[in-house]
Amino acid sequence: MSPRTRARIEFWVLALMLACVILAPFVGSRLVVYDLTVTALYAMVVVSLNIVLGLAGQVSFAQTTFMAIGGYGSALLTTALGLDPWAALALSALLALAAALVIGVPLLRLRGHYLAMATFALALGTNSFVTAATPLTNGSIGISSVPPLQIGDFAFDDARSFYVLSWVACIGSMGIFALLAHSHIGRAWRALATGQEIAQSLGIDVTAYKVLAFAIGAAIASVAGSLYVEFTSFVGPDLYDIGIVLNVLLMLFIGGRGSHAGPVLGAAILTFAPQFLAGLEQYQNLVFFGFLLLLILTWPSGLFGRVRDSGPIELMLPIWLRRRRSAESP
Amino acid sequence: MSSAELTLSGVTKRFGGLVAVDDVSFAVPVGRVHGLIGPNGAGKSTAIGLVSGFLRPDSGSIEFGSSDLTRLSPSAIARLGISRTFQQASPLGGLSVFENVLVGMHTHYHAGLASVLVRTPGARREASEIVRSVRELLALFGLEPYAEADARNLTFGQLRFLEIARAIAMRPRILMLDEPAAGLNDVERGQLAALIRRFRDEGVGMLLVDHDVPFVFALCDSMTVMNFGSVIASGDPDTVHRNPAVREAYLGAAAAAEAPQWH
Repeated sequence: MSPRTRARIEFWVLALMLACVILAPFVGSRLVVYDLTVTALYAMVVVSLNIVLGLAGQVSFAQTTFMAIGGYGSALLTTALGLDPWAALALSALLALAAALVIGVPLLRLRGHYLAMATFALALGTNSFVTAATPLTNGSIGISSVPPLQIGDFAFDDARSFYVLSWVACIGSMGIFALLAHSHIGRAWRALATGQEIAQSLGIDVTAYKVLAFAIGAAIASVAGSLYVEFTSFVGPDLYDIGIVLNVLLMLFIGGRGSHAGPVLGAAILTFAPQFLAGLEQYQNLVFFGFLLLLILTWPSGLFGRVRDSGPIELMLPIWLRRRRSAESP
Repeated sequence: MSSAELTLSGVTKRFGGLVAVDDVSFAVPVGRVHGLIGPNGAGKSTAIGLVSGFLRPDSGSIEFGSSDLTRLSPSAIARLGISRTFQQASPLGGLSVFENVLVGMHTHYHAGLASVLVRTPGARREASEIVRSVRELLALFGLEPYAEADARNLTFGQLRFLEIARAIAMRPRILMLDEPAAGLNDVERGQLAALIRRFRDEGVGMLLVDHDVPFVFALCDSMTVMNFGSVIASGDPDTVHRNPAVREAYLGAAAAAEAPQWH
């Protein structure tokens, strides 16, 4: 498949998804609308990781940390300080941005597995901290009755209005991703992800660019975290469990690193697939993870991945099961 | 600035007990080609690594104009206008040939994050001007037909040209070429020589490192010969040519007696 064909397919998949999103509130059940709202908010987090990992190539588990800054920021600034929910959302995003700069400068000097390890520790620490810091976060009970976002007299406090808000935010984040990906900034990220020394030799300050990706991703993840808490009007440690960050990574790997359509598709698959399999009872997880394994084996770079190398997992397969490399030599 | 030159003075680099570069001095003026030759392991690539900031010298100074390069990061050195290619020509995989050269133009983008996100007219104009000059470069290097191909699918020779196109795209004042002719056929070698002369005439200073001695002699205005980390000869090609130490290092004592076939 040539890059142009792939881009065309991706475009039509995006158009189809947009049509589904527009039609769903009219034809879908309340459960579908709820699940699609969750999909939009997770897709936003996946988009934020897609900037860090899909474009800049940095394996980071820090996304739930920034979601937590947004979530707890929104909850605390509104309930404890009485701030307007929009102001709380914006302030939290700035806080996440600042945190990313402080964490990012030392961490992003690390290469490869060290960054993954350090951010994994950060994700574990975030969950433990919000559970343990009872005076601030109310521990495992969490904070409820977070006031809704409002525009004038209109409050986003029902499922339909929040559905619209979350998809507007999600599509906005995808727009930011697309603008960045097609700019010299996005190309610099992709360059340093595949050849750090070449990028340096061309004048790209790789640490600065990695920190930039990390900070933009942090701000987007924080906004998604705020919106999620505004959606359920509740925040608690379980929202930032280590399982969540693994899910977000899985969504990106299934959808396709670096792609435009991948994050939404990955988020939708991981939100809806468990429900389709609910009838299987105790075999549900077995079938689900079997399916995931199969998907990763056959599409190592994800459904819409830009990365075209055979994944290391694919190399474990017997040759007749591997994908044939498309010969695209000029 | 027009008289700016890249100057190495008494540069030494050790790896453990091995002295890879030993008290080496030479200068590369802009608009001139300076050849750097020597047998395998002479320290030529190490010298390029030192100038481009990927390696730090143990002693000595490396200056470009009034800038001390030994204190700068590789990307800062590149932004001063010192570009390089790598001995192992490698593409930025997953990026098209066109995008590879676009990345080479990175330092010519002045649009910041905000103007990228709101697509200001200035940022768009800048981007389209850069795209146009990348097309011109691709045409110059004969890579235009493959612009949209994944750079990993190029032939070896095309990959070398892509690497040089990417390095010259930033419009450097000094370009260091690490064995650009290695593995090229005669036609490609001729094209490469023409390109090097063209860039020299446009005012780019070049440090040309290669094993192909006749190739270097034919192109360079001045040269340095290294062996085991030290400079054994330097000067204009004719002087170096007559130097018995050079012939011995290269051809062995027996061949040194014969009439040379270079030029």
